[in-house]
Amino acid sequence: MSKQENYDPSEIKRHMGMSAKNRISNTVIYIVLIIMSIVWLAPFVFIVLQSFRVESTWMVGYVVPKTWGLDNYINLAKTDFWHWYTNTFIMALATAVGQTVIVLCMSYTLSRFRFKMRNGLMRFMLILGMFPGMLSMIILYRLLKDLNMTQANAVPGLILVYIASSGMGYYVSKGFFDTVPKTLDEAARIDGATRAQVLWKIILPMAKPIVIYTILTAFMGPWGDFVVARYISMNTPAGMNVAVGLNSWLSADQIISRYTMFCAGGVIVAIPVTILFMCLQRYYVEGVTGGAVKG
Amino acid sequence: MKKVLALVLAVCMVIGLAACGGGSTPANNTPANNSNNVAPASEIAGTYKVLVWCPAEAKALTTKQIEAFNKDNKLGIVIEATVNEMSESEAGTQVLNDVSAGPDLYFFAQDQLARLVQGAGIAKLGEAASKKVKDESDKAAVAAATTGDQIYAYPLTSDNGYFMYYDKSVIKEEDVDSLEKLIEACKAAGKRFSMETDTSAWYIASFFFATGCVSEWTADKDGVFTNVKDTFNSPEGLIAAKGLYKLQSAKDVHVSSSNVADFSANPASAIVVSGTWAYNDVKKILGDNMGATDLPSFNVDGKDYHMGSFNGCKLLGVKPQTDVKKGAALNQLAQYLTDYDHQVERFNELGWGPANLEAQKIDAVKNNAAQVAINAQNQYATVQGQIHGSWWDIAKVIGTDVGNSDGSDAGLQKALDNYKAAIDELFKIDYSGKIFVGAWNEWNNADEKFAMTKDGNNFTITLDVPQSDYMGGRIVTPGDWGTELGYAQVTTGKELMNPEMADPAKNGDNNIVFAAPGTYTVTTDGTSITIVKK
Repeated sequence: MSKQENYDPSEIKRHMGMSAKNRISNTVIYIVLIIMSIVWLAPFVFIVLQSFRVESTWMVGYVVPKTWGLDNYINLAKTDFWHWYTNTFIMALATAVGQTVIVLCMSYTLSRFRFKMRNGLMRFMLILGMFPGMLSMIILYRLLKDLNMTQANAVPGLILVYIASSGMGYYVSKGFFDTVPKTLDEAARIDGATRAQVLWKIILPMAKPIVIYTILTAFMGPWGDFVVARYISMNTPAGMNVAVGLNSWLSADQIISRYTMFCAGGVIVAIPVTILFMCLQRYYVEGVTGGAVKG
Repeated sequence: MKKVLALVLAVCMVIGLAACGGGSTPANNTPANNSNNVAPASEIAGTYKVLVWCPAEAKALTTKQIEAFNKDNKLGIVIEATVNEMSESEAGTQVLNDVSAGPDLYFFAQDQLARLVQGAGIAKLGEAASKKVKDESDKAAVAAATTGDQIYAYPLTSDNGYFMYYDKSVIKEEDVDSLEKLIEACKAAGKRFSMETDTSAWYIASFFFATGCVSEWTADKDGVFTNVKDTFNSPEGLIAAKGLYKLQSAKDVHVSSSNVADFSANPASAIVVSGTWAYNDVKKILGDNMGATDLPSFNVDGKDYHMGSFNGCKLLGVKPQTDVKKGAALNQLAQYLTDYDHQVERFNELGWGPANLEAQKIDAVKNNAAQVAINAQNQYATVQGQIHGSWWDIAKVIGTDVGNSDGSDAGLQKALDNYKAAIDELFKIDYSGKIFVGAWNEWNNADEKFAMTKDGNNFTITLDVPQSDYMGGRIVTPGDWGTELGYAQVTTGKELMNPEMADPAKNGDNNIVFAAPGTYTVTTDGTSITIVKK
């Protein structure tokens, strides 16, 4: 600040003009941002507040609870909620590992190897990816049922479903691998590294953002899945994930007695994802945009 | 070396798949519509694993009752039950997703019965069990459990109807008999009137039953609908629509909802039309201010019409079983759960109004405020019976159609016409018949007026072909657009056709195109067509 006193007065004046202009445009921008963030955050704040309301368990016409308490969270323990939570967590974790390994291997292969039908395969997967996954739901159900992986055994069945087609989601990471100079591979190969060593020791350390992006998206899929999970678990609490379980509390005969508990469940569901995002946010942005920088 | 490895891996994969194939269980062999015959008592002793679906509120009680059954039954049946939560309104749909994986015993609302029968998701009752249900349950419950002349389920409750809950601090007792006064009172107090008339045919029907309209559906013993008598589109129906318009047009008062949490919403409702299942919840929300009574009357052209309702039931269904012994044991359990004692127990603990005639007579039931209200309303109620699954979607449109109309007779009539057209479309298609479709009926291939009369193997129709640019058509199966019966099949009367149409390139649909307007008699035996001009 003290340095500014030495500036030429006219320059200061011009500078002030600029800052006044800046101030106005900043004010406008901030007002818009504040309004947007209120619109965005209001539902979350609402759910958090509702989850601490203990004077009644149904929907009410006000937002701030009259009596605060942790009853809803404590009562969750008396239901199947933690079981659903564990199920979801296991599925998300297993998918995060399995899908990441498959996607990275697939991307590396398509980025570095040249083999017959490589382009054909990529095009085929692109077209296959255009069909909505829902189309296969009924056949998936029959298949998993014959494997005894539905209802109470839905967890391994669902992990299989989530991981099975993950090889087709190679686009972003392949794009990123393409930006890593091939000369590095060649240098490593000359020094005697195998193809696998090139992937693990050369490429992956440089592709941290993309690995984290892949883990995150793989983790998020099962965490929020509803349609397939509901179909495969077929109303068996032992095989439900949180989305399906919590949804069952919204039926007309239960919502009056479980609405605030539903909100408490929703808050707990959001916690690990929020933490994950907060820790890995930096990489996430790099990962999303990284794949687009193709040399 | 790598190639060998790849080969070994591929073989492993194939073997893995083959092993999976062998793992399939014969669980899909559920026999269609079989009845679970009662095996002799000594034979059905044993331990059975049973999956039960019941609503959340009844879970604890049902578990307890099943344990009691294990102690009480003299047949040596031991039930190892898994009780899962499922609301009655969704149970049918969920069961039909996969019957073989579905529950052995489930609570469901009666509107799903016909679908369950069609989808072989529910077993017939044996003769003795049917007789017991007929003797011990009220007539609405028997109608609910019956399709054709066959009983398929055990009645659990007979109070699945609706009436009016109101907030005594807002609504004066003397106003509760008039819809107009209630709307006024709500408006004056800045409160709302909740009745789910935008999205639910179940509630909309209230107005139509008030004026004496009916929608009576007949289903056969396989759950297939064979006939309907529907008078919603009638002068009485128009009066009902006027009543409905009074509520639908009160935009700042009416809320389309049956959720009793509306009593504590913002702005709060002073009236919610709902059923006995909400009684305990309303009591919690309103406390001493809770009022429950029959629905009001609405006044059209100086005449009062008391709003009607459905009188429906909740039922207990048993899944068809491959194991006859298990089927018999399940029927024993179902009878036990729906007998007098357990309906009374369910009433005492959950407030579910019994379907059992004797249980309905006990004082506690007669004096319960919700039961008093539903009984008062039931004088004006229509027994729900079996209703076509599509009706609920067709009829629910009336609510919004009426609400969006200008309230004039013509506007309201249009809503009813739409309804009628949809019902006709749904029902009058006879897939075994033939229909002469064409320019004369605007190519409506489900049009009953142009259905051909069947006489032995022949189908005949006499019709007037009016003057138009294209006087053409062909014979199709209703609902279908096949081209197998047209110009090429005409054996007699080709001279009456427009000669241009003999050219197959110009007549891609094989249409019969008349050269001149007039009255024609068309006869076909399914392969050739004879046309005679009158």
